[in-house]
Amino acid sequence: MVQLYPEKLMNIIANDSLEGKLVGMFKKYGVKGYTILRARGEGSSGFSADSSGFDSNIFVKVIIPESKLDTILGSVECKIRKGYHLTVYISDVQVLSREKFE
Amino acid sequence: MNLSSLLLPAVLFFALGVIARLIKSDLRFPPDLAKILSIYLLMAIGLHGGYELAKADFMIALSSIMWALILGFTLPIIGYLALVMTKKVSPLDAAAISAHYGSVSAGTFLTAIAYLDSQQITYESYPLIMLAVMESPAIVVGLILAAKARHSIAAKEGKPISGGAAVITADDENNGGNFGELLKDAFTNGSVVVLIGSMIIGAISLDSGMDKIKPFIDDIFMGVLCLFLFDMGMVAARRLGDFRQVGLLLASFGIVMPLVGGFVGAVVGAKILDFSVGGTTLVAVLGASASYIAVPPAMRLAIPEANPSFYLTLSLGITFPFNVIVGIPVYLGLAEWLVG
Repeated sequence: MVQLYPEKLMNIIANDSLEGKLVGMFKKYGVKGYTILRARGEGSSGFSADSSGFDSNIFVKVIIPESKLDTILGSVECKIRKGYHLTVYISDVQVLSREKFE
Repeated sequence: MNLSSLLLPAVLFFALGVIARLIKSDLRFPPDLAKILSIYLLMAIGLHGGYELAKADFMIALSSIMWALILGFTLPIIGYLALVMTKKVSPLDAAAISAHYGSVSAGTFLTAIAYLDSQQITYESYPLIMLAVMESPAIVVGLILAAKARHSIAAKEGKPISGGAAVITADDENNGGNFGELLKDAFTNGSVVVLIGSMIIGAISLDSGMDKIKPFIDDIFMGVLCLFLFDMGMVAARRLGDFRQVGLLLASFGIVMPLVGGFVGAVVGAKILDFSVGGTTLVAVLGASASYIAVPPAMRLAIPEANPSFYLTLSLGITFPFNVIVGIPVYLGLAEWLVG
């Protein structure tokens, strides 16, 4: 039986202009890696992102060790309070090699 | 107004883009096509302009830059005051919207060049430097207006200032440094780098080298512009759907503000810089157009409290189509009247 380890996966949907801000936050709190995808859609803020490249969305996926989760969530919440449109949800995942994320 | 202006292929393709969207055609351009084409268009126009500018008068170039800065700093303030007076949007929305109107749209500028070419009207190359210069100052004014608006909102509510990236707050990351970062972003933004870089290359390249790339920068230019406006027609039509959300008064700002900016630009071009009818038309277009490439991401970062639907719908969905279809011939008429 292969050993799996529980981790938290943070998913963030945001405008691509916020990419630098989010990546800066991950680096600041010592998150080891992240994945960013282009995304389109529509949500509570009432507008959809264009595919023209002028105003597109990104979908950020990042595994966060439980020990750092609260600090990073606090920082994300602070950004939302300031008015940044971020859609954030966390899910429980299992990873193969824990040392990649710790 | 000469209605034959509407029969320009570039304008007709823009209309086709709008129609394709309205009839819900399944036509989709590859992602980022408009962005790729706009890099080509800026590069071609930059090389061309730089080549011409190398032979131009330094003092006129300098005074064009100065007036571009003055326009870039003044127009957002006019827009802000007008918007605040309507009481339809918050001061922070007003700051974000007006920043778009002080900056410029290269797409509108290039359509104006296509229009002047089709009418065989010559123009100076100085407005091209003004295009590069005017991309950024309005972002700075937008940030200052937003900071002022935040202070007055906070003072009214008796709360400490929070929100936005351009204020110093005690929370997490280095917000204090962000104002400087935003300024750096404003002046090193992609369009500015492509345009100024290409102008320098055009100015210092040897004639023989320029001849070699002539097919790339001259012969296919208008065709690429058609394709760009085709795509932009679809993007604009998509924003047009948000028309109801912005309301009639705010939507009318998207038409009145370019006319005001166009008039101010035309006066600067004709009476101060002493340009020809063609050059004056281009300065009027600079005053009239609203940014949709450089300013929206800057405003999303710096004024997150502002509603992006407002500024994107106004600049892309209302002002851009208005300028492309109606505005440019109006500014030409204005230039003819002022230059006399």
